Amino acid sequence: MILNEYKYELGTIERGYNNRSLYINLSDNTIKEKEVTQFMKDKFIGGKGFGLWYLWNAVTPETKWNDPENEIVIAHGPIAGITQYPGSGKSLVVTLSPLTHMPMDSNVGGYFGPYLKFSGFDALELQGKAEKDVIIFIDGNRGIVQIMESDVEEKDSHLLSEILTDRFAKNEEDKKNVSVVSTGSAADNTLIGLLNFSFYDIRRKAVRLKQAGRGGIGTVFRDKKIKALVVRFEGTKGNLNNPADQGKINKAGIKLHREICLLDDKQNRMRKIGTANIIEIMDQYDLLPTHNYKFGSHKDTYKISSDKFQARVTQGLPDGCWYGCSLSCAKAADDFIPETGPYKGQKVIVDGPEYENAAALGSNIGVFDRDAVLELNFYCDTYGIDTISFGTLTAFIMECYENGILDKEKTGGLELYFGNKEAALELIHQMARGEGFGKIAGLGIRRMKKIFIEEYGADADFLNDIGMEQKGLEYSEYLSKESLAQQGGYGLTNKGPQHDEAWLIFMDMVNNQIPTFEDKAEALHYFPMFRTWFGLMGLCKLPWNDIVPEDNKYTDEPAKIPEHVQNYVDLFNGITGKNIDKHELIRQSERVYNFQRIFNIRMGYGKRIHDRTPYRSMGPVTEEEYLSRQERYDNQLKELVGIDPEGMTTKEKIAALRKYREDQYEKLTDAVYQRRGWTMDGVPTIKKLKELDMDIPELIEVVEQHL
Amino acid sequence: MIIVNGKEFPWEEGMTVRRLLELKKYIYPRITVKINGQIVNEEEYDTKVINDGDNVQCIHLMAGG
Amino acid sequence: MKVLKKDPEKCIACHACEETCSKLYFKEENPDKACLRIKETDSHPEIITCTQCGECIDICPVIAITRDKNGIVRIDQKKCVGCFMCVGFCPELAMFMHDDYIEPFKCVSCGQCVKVCPTGAIYISEE
Repeated sequence: MILNEYKYELGTIERGYNNRSLYINLSDNTIKEKEVTQFMKDKFIGGKGFGLWYLWNAVTPETKWNDPENEIVIAHGPIAGITQYPGSGKSLVVTLSPLTHMPMDSNVGGYFGPYLKFSGFDALELQGKAEKDVIIFIDGNRGIVQIMESDVEEKDSHLLSEILTDRFAKNEEDKKNVSVVSTGSAADNTLIGLLNFSFYDIRRKAVRLKQAGRGGIGTVFRDKKIKALVVRFEGTKGNLNNPADQGKINKAGIKLHREICLLDDKQNRMRKIGTANIIEIMDQYDLLPTHNYKFGSHKDTYKISSDKFQARVTQGLPDGCWYGCSLSCAKAADDFIPETGPYKGQKVIVDGPEYENAAALGSNIGVFDRDAVLELNFYCDTYGIDTISFGTLTAFIMECYENGILDKEKTGGLELYFGNKEAALELIHQMARGEGFGKIAGLGIRRMKKIFIEEYGADADFLNDIGMEQKGLEYSEYLSKESLAQQGGYGLTNKGPQHDEAWLIFMDMVNNQIPTFEDKAEALHYFPMFRTWFGLMGLCKLPWNDIVPEDNKYTDEPAKIPEHVQNYVDLFNGITGKNIDKHELIRQSERVYNFQRIFNIRMGYGKRIHDRTPYRSMGPVTEEEYLSRQERYDNQLKELVGIDPEGMTTKEKIAALRKYREDQYEKLTDAVYQRRGWTMDGVPTIKKLKELDMDIPELIEVVEQHL
Repeated sequence: MIIVNGKEFPWEEGMTVRRLLELKKYIYPRITVKINGQIVNEEEYDTKVINDGDNVQCIHLMAGG
Repeated sequence: MKVLKKDPEKCIACHACEETCSKLYFKEENPDKACLRIKETDSHPEIITCTQCGECIDICPVIAITRDKNGIVRIDQKKCVGCFMCVGFCPELAMFMHDDYIEPFKCVSCGQCVKVCPTGAIYISEE
């Protein structure tokens, strides 16, 4: 049954913009177009910038994630949809997060974003709540948007996306023209729900999924009673963006294709194994989160190393999540047969394995079993759960279990010790069914800490030390203990501890390239700003530095990959006809980055106190941790702290090291805030906003209350 | 004693670049090695000898996940 | 299968082959729009031609490149989305593109260039 239908004029994209967006309110089934103004393009560029701006206008400081006025905004960006440069098909999803109560943004592949763009819209705003489950369909060739009641029984993404692709495609040949956004049954029952964006794999003849994973966006999606979004667009070509200078884009793209062709096998093997290439490397450098981030390596890591996964990736042909991505990190394990759950015994495709999944669902919860990792990965995806949050929160639960804070009685019989794959799988099935301990686990670490303290009498200090969340979001999968810069890379972020702003571990800990606070602060300014830019454009981060030109090492700043930065400048100028340089690129990001910070402040967060991190991210919490790396820590006490550890108890040594490290983090915070043009409380100054041409009255109004 | 990435590291007679990378467990595939500021090409790792007192940089080029 | 073969020693870099090819394909004499290339170097010229090896077939994200019943690797321009991955990944660098067009182009062993080559530096061989 169709609840509302809206017809719109088809248009053409001009220099990367449609100059209009699509607004849908599910409470009253409004469908309308909005103008994308020059102001929006100047200040917010596109993608996550547009998402944040629309959300800012939709909510008040009192809005909660499950209020009808909260929105989910999906936007791509001016460069998105080109087919010549690898990684150019990304969507940015923005919403108020149920985990952090602040704006969340997530960068996701799949064909939805480009097809939304080709259908005529620079963003899709979803507000309100439907009464019954709905499907929203955008027909980009006929100019029709429909809201229809859902008649689909299936609740999990791998089936939903397949059924809807079949239904909305005219025939097999047409399936590649359809993309579905959906989530799974666990998004109904947890706060860590994700969105799956589909693309049709014409070689496998199967629907594949990419995830907007972080921050519970899928939970908001289901709260609005959206079953799925479907877009259909036939006629993809390489020039639909009508760029100012197609030749400039072609040149940059072909140069990078060639680079990948010649160098990827020697560098990161992204085409062969994808991001999983670093599992054993992280282990070797003591950076692979193991047993809830206690340790950075494990003797059994070889059982989940990249070659074990490669053996299970059966296609042998590299595939990308948008046309023209020759880096092709997307991987899949075909004909996987789960041993548990509702799909037990059926042949399924597991999208992955990604590094993050191997660490979150493997080493961090002590499961050194490739097929168990794949099964958890499959169920996380199809149930609509963020693998990172699931892994990190399960690791937290397991440490609580081993410390007697939880027991079989409290978990309803689940023996959640490290390495118990059966219990981890049952936990995820409970999340999907909305039953038992799975319901508590699905609330995330922050809320679990509260429950364990208030109801089970757990030691608050201990839980706050070992619970690897900040701002309400679970940590992603790198051990930051030995890299102060990365502690800041996780802690001094807008949306929570996620390494998509900065990954500085090697620069800092191994290479020792940024020894002073000022050096680290410069890195924690430049890299977050540079990486924010991908989210404004609809781009992927990987082709920036997971492949580098052969002569990169001879450049003045190898870590920035100067040639690739120039490629991005060329892409933007080629599309828009503007003439920015690499400095203006950073300023574009700074505008949106500071805006997001102010948005956080407006929601009651975003200050220094919210940038503090759990001690587990900074150093050894327990004696077990200290003793496992005793020589290293003893040496640091001697050389860095200036204390002779001789004769001290382990407890005293832990305390002395902690005092030193916490102090270092505070000093780092000072330096970073200063570099970013913020007060020592983390508030962007009016001077900074003026410098950025972001002295917009409503922003000034927010910051003035905090200066 | 030599300096590796700004920190002291014990030197041994006849130490090649390859040997140093092994001792440091530097298995990452994209490392740029510089001895006293001069880049050493990968083909020379087995033959290039590090002298006592050299300042060695093993720059891992990775900006992560 | 017919394959355009080369004997660079004989090439005198007159570029007649390129002109014939671009005229046939794009109705203009423009070596930048030819499906083979003569690159002048310090020694004898280099001839860049497609060997019909088919590496590009698996590279194409939309299966727009296929081998026809005669073994010739062809591009379906309608299916092509203009990503140019095939251009970057061709082992012979014999997949070409020009900014006037959003699809790449390549040699299909038609043999017209062979007819105008004065020295026999290119020839069609049955493989």
